[in-house]
Amino acid sequence: MADPKLVEDIVQALDVNGGSTERRPVHTVGVGAKGDFKASSVARQFCVADHFRHQKETVPVAVRFSNGMGVVDEHDGWSDVRGMAVRFDLGGGKTTDLVAMTLPVFFAPTPDTFLDFATHARPQKCQRLSPWQKIRSYLKLQLPMPDPYPGQTERANEGATAYADKNAWAQPAVLQASVIGAPVSYVRASYHAVHTFIVKGEDQTERWVRFHWQPIAGVLNTNPLADPVNTYLKADLERRLNPGTERFSLMMTLGETGDEFDDSTRQWPPHRKRVMMGTLTLRDVPTDQKTHCEKLSFNPCNLTDGIRESEDPVLKIRKEIYEYSSNRRGGTPCPFSGKGGKA
Amino acid sequence: MSDDGGWLNRYIDSLPERGWFKFLSKYVVVPYWVWREGKPKLPGGPRPSPQPSDSTQRMMNLLMPLKDTSPIGRAKAVMALAQNVDEIFAGLDNVGTVHSARFLLVEDYICMLSVYDGDFSNYIRDFIATIGSVFDDLMHLVEGGEALYPCEDNVEAFIDWVRDHDLFQAPDYAIDLFGLQDVQAGGKPNDPPHELMSLPRDLILQLHANRNISLGGGYRGYPGYSAAQLRRKLGVGW
Repeated sequence: MADPKLVEDIVQALDVNGGSTERRPVHTVGVGAKGDFKASSVARQFCVADHFRHQKETVPVAVRFSNGMGVVDEHDGWSDVRGMAVRFDLGGGKTTDLVAMTLPVFFAPTPDTFLDFATHARPQKCQRLSPWQKIRSYLKLQLPMPDPYPGQTERANEGATAYADKNAWAQPAVLQASVIGAPVSYVRASYHAVHTFIVKGEDQTERWVRFHWQPIAGVLNTNPLADPVNTYLKADLERRLNPGTERFSLMMTLGETGDEFDDSTRQWPPHRKRVMMGTLTLRDVPTDQKTHCEKLSFNPCNLTDGIRESEDPVLKIRKEIYEYSSNRRGGTPCPFSGKGGKA
Repeated sequence: MSDDGGWLNRYIDSLPERGWFKFLSKYVVVPYWVWREGKPKLPGGPRPSPQPSDSTQRMMNLLMPLKDTSPIGRAKAVMALAQNVDEIFAGLDNVGTVHSARFLLVEDYICMLSVYDGDFSNYIRDFIATIGSVFDDLMHLVEGGEALYPCEDNVEAFIDWVRDHDLFQAPDYAIDLFGLQDVQAGGKPNDPPHELMSLPRDLILQLHANRNISLGGGYRGYPGYSAAQLRRKLGVGW
């Protein structure tokens, strides 16, 4: 059980101007979709969890795509991390979640450093660099900070970069977040669950793994030199699914001894064995977004038999951070709410 | 953008693409930084790793500079390989750990690109033992090759030469360049941490030292499996 004060401090450090305590502190703007998941023919060999066990049956899923920023206003076209939270309905009231984002690494290795990072990387007032400042960057063979978007008065770039300059573990995430761009569609991006989970296979072998969603439609960003459009991602998803379907492959990477199992700031080398665990098919954007998107309370630690948490301390505290956030905004009770951490 | 800062801002933003600024950068700015913070050349080939997946499907990108770069000299290099196809194929079969190998003639280089399992030095030893005579023919045609002839009598020198001509493999994640440069300079990786914004400059300076590089370790359709594992699974008899 994490220190409740630390949990509260982290959530409050994530609160920014333009946000709302009645909404999520980050990934505030989102859209829900419904669909189903079908396990691959080999999935059960690696994980006996219900959603991987039945190759011939599909499992209903609820998905929430989101923009990473913690503001209520929509800025779909701004460069930002995107989220994809998936809830698998296992039947009989049982569910399990897989929470992923377009960034393949996290910003901090421990809860304390997470709070420190969140505090230092709070959005601060930003303005366009002067011509001389830009020229000086070029002469130092550096890229200047990009101009703020029209209407953008605050951003995290400067604070996060200054913090990463002093803390090497933050550099992978800060660097990749700074160039991440905006997808042309929520279904044209790859999403990474970043933390390590431990799965148990049919032969009872346990493996340390990381999950990734890969879009069948392929990855594509908007043109970063074009004017950003503030709202298009929800309409794009509605257009694609009415009528139609969009699909993602669930890939599972198998870690090896020596990989960073408990530190989500470090990516594993890209040449680890990987297994195709199944296909998610999106079929519908529900009209009632309040129930099927905003009220839903996902939790990366909402797991089921056959899959369990690693010792990653950030993963462990996220259980309580999500619970705290859900309670604060009056979400449909998180699977852990009031149960002392048991699903 | 609607608020783009006016013509001066647009002009400044376009500087990196303007001819006069490129000229200034190429002949003044980059040489200044090379003088001030030049990087040592980073070694070729895959970096040592004890982890199983890292020991399979390793990449070799061997660039051998031709002595005679005229069409006749280039044709000699082609002929040296074309006349030894059986020896190359039989030899690579006998090495046993090779997923694929091919030769390219690119500009003034004869190149061997291969994917293999296991230790780099042992791979080179194996292919000297199995296709050494092909490399003997090539050594007459490439710069610095005469000193290595015959390869089977100069195994260690040949391994060093191959390592020196195998392309540096840039890290799979850009940020790891900092650490590699630190280690090459005799320090600890990221101690102290680098300024994030200096990564483009460090890359430029590294490309000054390593003119040709492999961009990461590449994509693998079936990562982590050796050639022997695949052949056994496919039931092809060896």
